[in-house]
Amino acid sequence: MLLEVGNLTKRFGGLTAVADVSFGIERGEIVGVFGPNGSGKTTLLNLIASIYPPSSGRIVWNGTEIQGRKPHENAAAGVVKTFQNPQLFIELTAFEHLLIAGHLMLKRRLGWRRVATLFKRDAGNAGADLERRARELIRLCRLQDASDEPAANLSYGEEKMLGVAMALMCEPQLLLLDEPASGLGVTEIENLEGVLRDLRAAGTTLCIIDHKVGFLGRLADRAISLHHGKKIAEGTPEAVLRDPNVIRAYLGQHHEHA
Amino acid sequence: MKRLLQLAAVAGIVLVLPLAVKSDTAMTIIIFSFLLGMLAVSFNLVFGFTGQLSMFHAAAFGIGAYATHLAMAYWKVSFWEGMVLAAALVAALSVVVGAICFRFRLREFYFAVVTLAFSEVVRLVVLNWNDVTNGTLGINLQVKPTLWLPGQGLVKIDGTLMWYYVSAAALALTVLVAWRLVHSWMGRCFAAIRLNDELGDVLGINVFRYKLAVFVIANVIAACTGGLYAFYLGFIEPGFLSIDQSLAIVAMVLLGGRGAVAAPVIGAFVLTALPHLIHFGAEMRSIVYGGILILTILLMQQGIYGAFARLLRRRAPMRENHAA
Repeated sequence: MLLEVGNLTKRFGGLTAVADVSFGIERGEIVGVFGPNGSGKTTLLNLIASIYPPSSGRIVWNGTEIQGRKPHENAAAGVVKTFQNPQLFIELTAFEHLLIAGHLMLKRRLGWRRVATLFKRDAGNAGADLERRARELIRLCRLQDASDEPAANLSYGEEKMLGVAMALMCEPQLLLLDEPASGLGVTEIENLEGVLRDLRAAGTTLCIIDHKVGFLGRLADRAISLHHGKKIAEGTPEAVLRDPNVIRAYLGQHHEHA
Repeated sequence: MKRLLQLAAVAGIVLVLPLAVKSDTAMTIIIFSFLLGMLAVSFNLVFGFTGQLSMFHAAAFGIGAYATHLAMAYWKVSFWEGMVLAAALVAALSVVVGAICFRFRLREFYFAVVTLAFSEVVRLVVLNWNDVTNGTLGINLQVKPTLWLPGQGLVKIDGTLMWYYVSAAALALTVLVAWRLVHSWMGRCFAAIRLNDELGDVLGINVFRYKLAVFVIANVIAACTGGLYAFYLGFIEPGFLSIDQSLAIVAMVLLGGRGAVAAPVIGAFVLTALPHLIHFGAEMRSIVYGGILILTILLMQQGIYGAFARLLRRRAPMRENHAA
C-alpha cells in the first residue's frame, strides 16, 4: 500500500468536514473521489497533502506516518497536490513557474551541493536538465502558446494545466488533483485525460477528486464516494455510481451534467 | 553581449570619474552613496525580491559598525578580521531574530513591527551600555583600516581617492553577489515566497529556510557595510541603528526601484545628494524623505529605474509590431 488513510477526521470549529474516513491507494492506480461541493473532498486532499493537520486519525505514506508534516516535506517525499482554483506566481511566465516548481528536482539531483552552484551560471548540468524538463512539460501540457506569457494573460484552462505541469515538475509519486477538469472545455478535458493516462503509464499514482462523473468514471480504476464528510461507498467507478446510497446522496442532481 | 558592454561602460565611468570630479564634497557624496547603495541593495534582497519588510537592516548595519570597532579595540585584530567577526555576530543574531519571526509566520506589517522592536532593543542596548559604546556621545575612530595591494604591500585606506575605490569595489561586489543570488535557483525560491508562499510550500520549497537565508545574507552585507561606513566617517553613534536610518533605506529602495538588483543605488545617490544640493536642516530632511516616499508610492511604484524601463519598453513593442 502506497498510501493508507486511517480514521481520518477534520473538524473546523463545529463543522466536521471529514469524518472517520479510511481508505488506501495502491502504487500505480488512479483513485477517484466523487462528491458534490461540501462533501469533504477538498479537505480530504488537503489533509493528505498536509496543508493542515487532521483533528484525529493517521496518514501512512510508504510505511511512515506523515500527519502533522509540512506541505513542503510532503512534496519532497513525493506527495504533490494541485489546486481547484489555480494558484499562480502572477507576474511570472508559465516557463518561470515551471523553473520554480523544479526546486525539488534540483534538490534531489544536487543535495547540499546546490549551494555551490549558486555562483555558477545556471547551476551547471542540473540546471540544463531542469530547463529541458520544463520545456518537455510545456509541450506535454500543450502550453506552448503560454510559455513566455505572464501568468496574468493565461486562459482559465491554461492556468489549470500550468498547475498540473508545476506539480509534475516536482516528480510526484502520488499526484493529488483537486477538480482538474472543472471549468475546462471539451478539448481541454481530452488533453488532460491524455496527460493523466500517460502519467499512469509512466508509473505515477493519481488521486483525483471531481464532480464530473463522466470524466472520472472513464479514468479511475477505483473510486470512493463521500457524503457529509463520511465515506459511503468504495469500489469500481461503475459499482460506486450504481450504489443506491450514492445515487440517493447526490448523483441524482448531477447525473445529467456528466 | 549588450549587457557586457553596458557593464564595461559603467565600470569605465566609475574608474575614471575621480579624474573628472575635482570637488572633494562631490567625491564625499559619491562615496557615501556607494556605501549606502550597498545597504539599499542588500535590503532589497529581503524587501524587493522576497517581499519581507525588514526593519532590522539598520540594526545589522549599526551592530556591524560597533562590533568591527570593538573587535579591533579589544582583541587587537585588523579591520578586515574585525569585519568578519562583526558579520558573524550579525549572522548569529539574524538567525535568532529571523527564526522567531518566521517560525511564527509573521508577515508584512507584523514582520515589520516585530523586527522594528528587535532593532529598538539593540539600539537601547547600544545607547545605555556606556562603558563599551560611549552611549549617545558615540565613538571617534582614529585608526585607519589597511589594505594589501599588489606591489605596494600594506597601505592605509586614507584620503578620498582611496576610499572612493574601496567603496566602489565593495558596492560592485555587493551588486555581483546580489545579482547572482537573485538569478540562481535560490532567487527563484525568493520570488516564490514573494508572489505566493503557499504555492511555493506545496511545490516543495522550504519557505522558512529561504526566508531565513535571505534575511541572514542581507544582514551580513549590512554589517560589512556598517564597518566600512563607520571607518570612512571616522565616527559611530547610536543613530546608525535608528528608525530614521531604517526608513532612509526603505526610501532609497522605493525611490530607486525594487525590481532590479542595482536600482536601489539610484535611490541612494538621489537621497544622499539631495540634502547637499538643497540646503535644509535635519527636521526638514525627514519631511523631504517622507514627501519623496509618498510621491514615489503614488506616482512611480517601480521607482526611478522602473519608470525609465517602462519608458524604454513602451517604445520597444512598437518596433516589434512594425516588424510583424
